[in-house]
Parts: sequence; C-alpha cells; structure tokens
Amino acid sequence: MKKKVLLLLLAASAFSYASKAQDTVKTTADAPLVLYGSVDTYYKDDFSGHANIPTSFASDNNSISIGMVDLGLKKTVGNASFVGELSFGPRSDESIPTSGYHIQNLYVSYNLTPKLNATAGYMSTFIGYEVISPTGNFNYSTSYLFTSGPFQNAGFKLTYTFSDKVSLMAGIFNDQWNVYTSEHDVSTFGAQLTITPNKNWTAYLNVASGPTSGTIGDLTTAYQITPAFKLGLNAADFTPAHGGGGYDGAALYPQYAISKVVTLGLRAEYFEAKLPTGVTGTTPAVTEFTLTANVKAGPLTFIPEVRLDSWNEQKYSSFTDSSGNPSTSAEQFVLAAVYAF
Amino acid sequence: MKKIVFALLLLLSVKSAMAQKDSLSFDEHNKYIYYHVVEQPGLTVDTFQNRMQYLLKAVYPKNKINQGGTPGSISGSGKFLILTGITAAKHVDGEMSYSFYIEYKDQKYRYWLTDFVFTPYKVDRYGNSVPEQGLDVPLEQGAAKLEKNQFSSYLTKTAIYSIQFGGDVKKYMMKISATPAEDDKKKVNVTKDW
Repeated sequence: MKKKVLLLLLAASAFSYASKAQDTVKTTADAPLVLYGSVDTYYKDDFSGHANIPTSFASDNNSISIGMVDLGLKKTVGNASFVGELSFGPRSDESIPTSGYHIQNLYVSYNLTPKLNATAGYMSTFIGYEVISPTGNFNYSTSYLFTSGPFQNAGFKLTYTFSDKVSLMAGIFNDQWNVYTSEHDVSTFGAQLTITPNKNWTAYLNVASGPTSGTIGDLTTAYQITPAFKLGLNAADFTPAHGGGGYDGAALYPQYAISKVVTLGLRAEYFEAKLPTGVTGTTPAVTEFTLTANVKAGPLTFIPEVRLDSWNEQKYSSFTDSSGNPSTSAEQFVLAAVYAF
Repeated sequence: MKKIVFALLLLLSVKSAMAQKDSLSFDEHNKYIYYHVVEQPGLTVDTFQNRMQYLLKAVYPKNKINQGGTPGSISGSGKFLILTGITAAKHVDGEMSYSFYIEYKDQKYRYWLTDFVFTPYKVDRYGNSVPEQGLDVPLEQGAAKLEKNQFSSYLTKTAIYSIQFGGDVKKYMMKISATPAEDDKKKVNVTKDW
C-alpha cells in the first residue's frame, strides 16, 4: 500500500514538473508547428423559395448544408517557412476549379534579409477584400467583386519592407488565375503596394496583368477607426486580355461592435459588367446590400444575415420570384456557423 | 517510508505555494506589474550595464532597448506570442507586448515588467498569423474585453513569461563574465600518439 502511495506521489510530482515544462511561453516571434483551420455549415432561405443569388458559395436553398473543413499547417524555423492548407467540402470544390485538388495554400517562404522575403507556390490571391475561408470574411455570402475576381495565384514573389508603413510585393505568376499548372507560361505580372498610415489603417494597391489573364487593378483598405467601428472598402476594375468586356465595382464594409460578442456589419456593393467591344446600350449593373451579425461564442461564430440584390434592368437579371416570373431583385436569409481553430 | 512520503508531500506543497506567490501584482497606478528587488553587492555600474546588455542580446534579441538611458538603468520593450493548444500543434492567439525596466544602485538591483497589452491575431489569407489592427487590449481591461477563460489563460502565461524573464535577469547578473571567452584554438586529435 505504502509503495502504491509512494508511486502515486512520484507520478504526481513528475506530472507536475512535466506540466510546468509544457506551460511555457515563447520568447521569440518564431512559433512551433501551428495548426489552424475552420469548419462551417449554413442554412439559406431565398424568399422566392428557390436559389437566386449567384455569388460564390452557400448555394443550397432551404437546406442545412456544409461549407468546408479547412486544415492548415505552418512552421517557421529561422528564416524559412512553409504553409500547407487543405480543404474539403462544397465550398472548397467551388473555389478550386481543378477537380481532385484540395489545396488552398501551399508555398515555401524565405527571408533573404530582414526586409526582403521570397515566396513561391500556390497562394491565396493578393487581390480583393474577401477570401475563400469563411473565417476571413465578416459576411457569409460573398460579393460580386469576389466571385468575379481571382481566388488564387500560383507564382513567385518578392516582398520588400521599406518601413513599418510601406512595403512592396512584385511577382510573376501563372498565365491564368486559380490554376495549379499554367496553360502556356508564367506570364502574369503582379504587384501589391501596402501602405499603413497608422497602426489601425492599412491600404493595398494591387495590380495583376498578363496576356492571358487580362488586367485587374484593385484597391483594398480597412480602417479600425475606433475599437468598435471599422470601415472597409474594395474597388476593382478588370479588363480581359481579348474582346473587351470585364467589370468594375466597389463595396463598402462598415462594421460596429455593439458588445464584446456581437458585431453588426453592412456590405453595400455596386457592380457593373462592361459591355464587349462593339456592343452599345445600358451597362448591366447590380446593387446589393447585406446586413450581417457576427455573434461569437468562443471559437464559434454564428452569422445571421439578410441580403437584397437588385439589377438595373430586367434583361440582365436571372432572378425569378416565387411564381417563377422574372424579377430584377432577390432577397435571402442565411444563418451560418463557423468554428475557427 | 513515512519520511519519504512526508518529504514528497512537502515538495509538492512548496512548489505550488511558490508558483502562487511569485506572480503579477498591481502597482500604484493600478497596472499589472512584475516587480523584484535583489541584493547584489560588489557590482560596478559598468559591470551591470555590460551584463544586462549581454542578456538582452543573447536571450531577447528582438527586444527594443530605449536609447539615452541613465547609467545604471536599462529599459525597453518586448513581446511574446500567446500560444494555445496541444504541444505538437499550437494555435497563435495573439501577442503580449510589455515594457521592461532594470536598474542598479547601492549594491542592489531591481527589475520590473509592466504595460502589458494583448493584441489578438487572426489568420490571414495566406495562412499567416497576423495582428488584428486596432483591437489592442491592455491587460488591466482584459476582464471586460476578453472572455473569462481567455483572460485567465493570458494572465497565467504573462506571469510565467515574467518569471522566466526575472530568472534570466538573475542568472546573467550572477555571471562572472558576461561575454563568453572565445576559444579560437582549433582542437586537433593527434592520432599517432596513443
């Protein structure tokens, strides 16, 4: 009996020391192997009774549906880093045009000097305000600007940090967006000028241009004006490489935290499709307003939102009402739950 | 046997008491502070300065040291990552920034860490953990602005970090030579003699 007590005490003592050894903090910025990701699910109800709004993801109507499971691993040792992020589910499938692939980010990175970083691989695009991962967006549904723009770019880029306020990225990317392998060559030039006027405000001026991918210019900025109020803005203009057309538009993202767990936000977007070369007439344009709440419960965020889309002319709209008649407008309600880790 | 059991019990209780005693407290401005005064006779101001500069260079190379301090004092700022999760794969919750002060006079020195501010991190589009702009939380406001479990965890991690920092200060203040002697002589094994 005494021996058992002694063994228990020794085990308790060893556990105590082991716990202390694990319960330490890093004294440098290098992190150990880091695991991150998310899981999301949603319910959508279009007020017409059938799905109307065509922007990316959350496409199932009157159904409790899944988004994706997103699993990322990253590690930094000295100046070398890697990120590998895999995703599975409908949201992943819609974001990756190449079937069978499940990669959101896969790249290696090296700090050549304290100010110069080189990165190569397949990366989330540097263009735009919204992203594929539901943890990176405030609204659960996505904008027309996001849906129409690039999701990912594969390539090689150099980023030089001039100061805490200014950095510049320049790189060469595959000839097409959202592909793991180039169609012909690596011919899209991309650049991003990052300006941080103060620690609460960052602005990104982006451009990607190539003989196959066309040219897109983009401004993305977010300003945390007070601890409770944040204002975001995205504006973009895209021209395809051949045949005219393209699009332009802008979206405003005001958000206000009414408590430490509830934040309300609006997305107000104007998006227009440019007419192809030689075509005249009214430009197709859509306006959308999305009112969203983020309700946090630890790592889980509940996202109820109401959205209203409206086209300028019936001939450009694909919306139909509850009777199946053409309509210029559509409304929907979404309740999503996103768990981030 | 009884003596061994008693000794082990005593060891466990002392360890627990030490961990609870050596922790953060509040200063006169109602700010969290980790503060200690240590007697160490026989040091010159130059030796103190030399040893503390070596400590910061060797153990805390990313800390910023305030320039133009008075002789016998060093101050600056630093930060550390707040990690949660299992040992094999951590999640970066954010970073805690702090100010540090080390002063030497009258055969004793004192050091303190204060101005703790938590900055939450988010995962950006590239998978990097980056600070969320404009959402800094001074530790004193943590109870109101952070969730209860988060705040408790961050407070504990800040205390552990501060104890580590204090341990390093004491260790390097005791070093006979702050600068390690460099041995340039190449060691050669002479194999013909055995």
